[in-house]
Amino acid sequence: MSFNLFDAEEKTLEQAEILRAGLTDQPESIRTGINDLVDAFSRSVREQRRLVRVSDRLQAQLATVNQELARRRAEAETALGDLQAAQDSLIQSEKLASLGALVGGIAHEINTPVGIALSCASHLADSTAGLRKLFEADNIGIEDFERYLATATDTTTLILSNCERAAALIRSFKQVAVDRASSERRRFDLGDYVRETLASLGPHLRQAGHTVKVECPAGLILDSYPGALSQVLSNFVMNSLIHGFDSGQTGTLSILIDQPTPQWVRLIYADNGKGVPESDLSRIFDPFFTTRRGSGGSGLGLHIVYNLVTGPLGGSVSVEKAANGRGVAFTVTLPLSSEI
Amino acid sequence: MNNLKIAATERSPEVDFDFERGVLVLRGESYPEDASAIFGPIFSALETFLAEGEKREVKMDFDLTYFNSSSAKALMNMFQMLDHAAAAGTKITVSWFFAPDDDTMKEFGEDFSEDLKHVIFNLVAVEDAA
Ligand SMILES: Nc1ncnc2c1ncn2[C@@H]1O[C@H](COP(=O)(O)OP(=O)(O)OP(=O)(O)O)[C@@H](O)[C@H]1O
Ligand SMILES: [Mg+2]
Repeated sequence: MSFNLFDAEEKTLEQAEILRAGLTDQPESIRTGINDLVDAFSRSVREQRRLVRVSDRLQAQLATVNQELARRRAEAETALGDLQAAQDSLIQSEKLASLGALVGGIAHEINTPVGIALSCASHLADSTAGLRKLFEADNIGIEDFERYLATATDTTTLILSNCERAAALIRSFKQVAVDRASSERRRFDLGDYVRETLASLGPHLRQAGHTVKVECPAGLILDSYPGALSQVLSNFVMNSLIHGFDSGQTGTLSILIDQPTPQWVRLIYADNGKGVPESDLSRIFDPFFTTRRGSGGSGLGLHIVYNLVTGPLGGSVSVEKAANGRGVAFTVTLPLSSEI
Repeated sequence: MNNLKIAATERSPEVDFDFERGVLVLRGESYPEDASAIFGPIFSALETFLAEGEKREVKMDFDLTYFNSSSAKALMNMFQMLDHAAAAGTKITVSWFFAPDDDTMKEFGEDFSEDLKHVIFNLVAVEDAA
């Protein structure tokens, strides 16, 4: 026997039919009354059946829609995952590319001093061989010796200075390849540390006669890499001294620190010197971008700054024209804890 | 009597009752939170119109793509009202529109028309229903 949802209603209707059939000797008003009641009840049962169907249908549709929704959501999540993976690999290849550019640049930079040193050394070797020949033939004159001395002095000076230049380049290259693990991390008071770093630069600053302003909320504790931070500040200060002012000119260097959100500090380094032309602003962090090539600039200082701030320090750095239109301002944003 | 024109909302159908021409249309979706707020005005206008009792022709179109249970009950009530009026002599034609791929709407139309004895009932498949 199959299950019937409306079994009871149907039985009632059967009973009602029997009742109706047995009413033949009842008055007219009772017969129509019962008739109407039975009709209304049977209509009501039909409506009930339809409503159950409507409602079942709606639930089924809802379930389908929910399944579809879950499926699409899963799809979207997969797509998001793929996208993030793609982005990671893009960033990775971007890093590799910039490392490649860096290594290429380093090779190019080092090539010049090494090339000069090499040709000087071979020139010196030739002269030495010539002198030895004269000496062994016992045919050496005072003029020969004097000429040799002049050559030796010139070439060794050039060899020395170019090797020093190469060594300096290699040192900066080491800094660029910031090694996170090797630098020490600890908790330190930001204001104190900034002042200590400036003190260590004191001789340079005093000599130039600039005014230095530091504003920092007291007791601001960072859990980060102080070595990296002081390297950043040193680069800023040395750049101001070298690029910002002509010798004899004095100005103001300022470091303003505040805490825009509980987890982040903002450090604005500014000088009121010559500033950077608009067209150079976007290239200033590029490796080897310098306006002093040939007179000591390698163009790595701000690139190191960029790598330190975005790498171990976990923050960001940007450059603008100084607020009053004179000089340059760098904004460094740092997390209180470099691991967030 | 005044025509009844109510714009569709996200959850209620468009009502376009042109009593002068005797053309009444319900179009859209119907799953209002409060069915009586939506169907109350429709019923009272329909009741007044049918009670005028003129022997005339009335066309009523149901062009619905989705409705909930209380709307279904309201539709059945409306069907019964129309059938009574038809029994009393008004010539009423009801058309139930559905999209050709919407079997559900078609079956509801068949289902709901089961009790119609006096109304002329048409099931109409239309390419772009609603
Ligand atoms: N405070 C400043 N005022 C004006 N120009 C600046 C300042 N700081 C940086 N610059 C400009 O940005 C360029 C890039 O600076 P960066 O520190 O990267 O290289 P550099 O100082 O030229 O060389 P390096 O620091 O490697 O010895 C500089 O050559 C200079 O033109
Ligand atoms: Mg520099």
